[in-house]
Amino acid sequence: MSEGTNFDYLFKVVLIGDSGVGKSNLLSRFTRNEFNLESKSTIGVEFATRSLNVDGKNIKAQIWDTAGQERYRAITSAYYRGAVGALLVYDISKHATYVNVTRWLKELRDHADSNIVIMLVGNKSDLKHLRAVPTDEAKAFAAENELSFIETSALDASNVEGAFQTILTDIYRIVSARSLEQSADHVKPSAGDSITVQPSIDTSAAGQKTGCC
Amino acid sequence: MAARPPPARPHIGLNPSPRFSSYSTSEWVDDDAWDSGSDSESPTKTSWKQPTSKHASSSSPKPVPKSGQNNSSSSTLASSYTHLHAPSPSSYPPRPEQPQPVNKNGWTIVSKSTDRLRGADHDESAHTGDGAAGAEGDGSDLILGDLDPEVAEQPAPAPSKPRQDQGSLRDDVDEIVNDPLHLIRRRPPKRNHSLPSSSEPGGQLARERSIKSNRRQKFVGCIMQEDVNMAQLRKLAWNGVPSDLRPVTWPLLLGYMPLPAPLRASTLARKRQEYLSLVELAFARNREGLDQQIWHQIEIDVPRTRPGVKLWMQASTQRSLERILYVWAIRHPASGYVQGINDLATPFFQVFLSAYIDSDPEEFDPTLLPSHVLNAIEADSFWCLSRLLDGIQDNYIATQPGIQRSVKRMTELVARIDPPLAAHLESENVEFMQFAFRWMNCLLMREISVENTIRMWDTYLAEGADAFSQFHLYVCSAFLVQWSKKLREMDFQGIIMFLQSLPTQGWTDHEIEMLLSEAFVHYSTWHNAQSHFGK
Repeated sequence: MSEGTNFDYLFKVVLIGDSGVGKSNLLSRFTRNEFNLESKSTIGVEFATRSLNVDGKNIKAQIWDTAGQERYRAITSAYYRGAVGALLVYDISKHATYVNVTRWLKELRDHADSNIVIMLVGNKSDLKHLRAVPTDEAKAFAAENELSFIETSALDASNVEGAFQTILTDIYRIVSARSLEQSADHVKPSAGDSITVQPSIDTSAAGQKTGCC
Repeated sequence: MAARPPPARPHIGLNPSPRFSSYSTSEWVDDDAWDSGSDSESPTKTSWKQPTSKHASSSSPKPVPKSGQNNSSSSTLASSYTHLHAPSPSSYPPRPEQPQPVNKNGWTIVSKSTDRLRGADHDESAHTGDGAAGAEGDGSDLILGDLDPEVAEQPAPAPSKPRQDQGSLRDDVDEIVNDPLHLIRRRPPKRNHSLPSSSEPGGQLARERSIKSNRRQKFVGCIMQEDVNMAQLRKLAWNGVPSDLRPVTWPLLLGYMPLPAPLRASTLARKRQEYLSLVELAFARNREGLDQQIWHQIEIDVPRTRPGVKLWMQASTQRSLERILYVWAIRHPASGYVQGINDLATPFFQVFLSAYIDSDPEEFDPTLLPSHVLNAIEADSFWCLSRLLDGIQDNYIATQPGIQRSVKRMTELVARIDPPLAAHLESENVEFMQFAFRWMNCLLMREISVENTIRMWDTYLAEGADAFSQFHLYVCSAFLVQWSKKLREMDFQGIIMFLQSLPTQGWTDHEIEMLLSEAFVHYSTWHNAQSHFGK
């Protein structure tokens, strides 16, 4: 597809959450409309992109799908830097994955930009008979913590498009509002230019260094 | 634990493929019943455990004391293989109403072709009596009269010893358990065993064959020595081990099986018994006694280890893998179980399984194995995996320093051997960590097939103990550099996407051997020139 360089904005988004909640399948459903019953665990980080139209602008989402296991946290948290959005995924049929959402929020507070847009995603909504996390409870939790919230099913594709569309729209609105406010700021796209969120850990790390030193 | 939690990925477990359904349904049901029988809440079902209990009591370590209300035989869970009460998706009864993805069609075809094969078997056996190659419609009564009793009996044993769909157990498994070298003494080299039946000119094929059989002779000569010469064995193994000799060669190379012949049988027996005891101890206190964090992760990962491969979708194999991983993890608390270690266990299991069967291990149903054989395979896999992991343990401890170091050195190495590629990657902001992390963590097993991996490990094991951390680095560098031309034409996104799913599907031993040779060249050039590296 002609996704190449033809975009107005490039947003880096991370997918985080416990092991086995369906992060990789959410991503493949969104980027390739595929669901794989036989998917393997994600090792470290995997990457995919897709472009969407928001308010007439072509938004390219660069999505990093992270491994859920604790041991990989050192590796994966490096990818939070420079991310403007995070989909924090839990499994509606596994209460423990919902309980851990708090820990994941802390991870984001520790490692990600403080302005990062976070969406809480209850995945596997197709498993109605196994539901262990009531929708209302998660919704209330999300409201308390100022997260947006949605339930999805990567398996039957429900709300997957909506989840990404919503978070990318939110990000876009914030970024464009910010760029209006600070019209002289470098984040404002001049004609034909685009805001790129650097994919490189190195670059963003360097940026951070200059910020704090 | 009030109820068994839902399977980690119910989507997977609840969808038996048509390919399995011919026998798996009943097996799953059995397994489930078996499972519930071992739950501590149902102490009534104990009688069936007595034989294993007796067996287990002969093992040395004392079970951890249990509370009185526990199932009296819970400490014997370890040694009876089929009833660890770990819920697993595959042990759940199939649920038919799940939506099936489109690609399942392929599986249906497989099952059909199996049927056809079986049909063909029948036809053949019928025709042997008849001599005439009749059409399918041949009246069986016509042929019946001509059959000798011998032939007439043939269809009967066929289902009890299925060949095409479940694989066939060798009839000398007991001898092999006791003496792995029995494998060599008995089996003459299979003709055409691993040769590609290609359209190559006959002359070259014959030459290759003679080279192969020559190499095999040397191998056999080396292994059959009373005291195997390690240097010689390594030299031979570097260029690849004949597949039927691997189950003997790998344990020798890893130092798991002693080099002097007289020590082997007793050592193997002791190590296998020791493993049984470790399992028994680890699982002595039921599910609640397990390290929950480790067990939880293993439980999630086992069903998605080699997904879609029949052997690994079998409940029996999955229980084996769970035990191997769990016992290793609790014995190595600094790392515990880390995702990816599950992948590393599979080549061992398949190689050791191959010693006992005459069919493709990946298609085999391990429930056909006698329990002492399964135990031997499992124990051997455990010990060999342990030895492999000994060399790369700092890949899996907190912050994974081994991987960090390897990726850093790989970055430096690639900058030396392919400066334009290194420069391009840098200009595109590609970090080696973004793709090479997995290459180190899973030893390239996510990039190449298990067959490829097995061939690669012949060389790694021949290289010696640190090959999985040192030589592997050079293999990874050579692996990357071979796509150099393509990569240099790609941008950041293209590079990452390409490296995430490399076109290695068609790779054979040949490509792996080329890769290993390249790596060896780099290794020889750079390994003893450490000052060229950052440190």
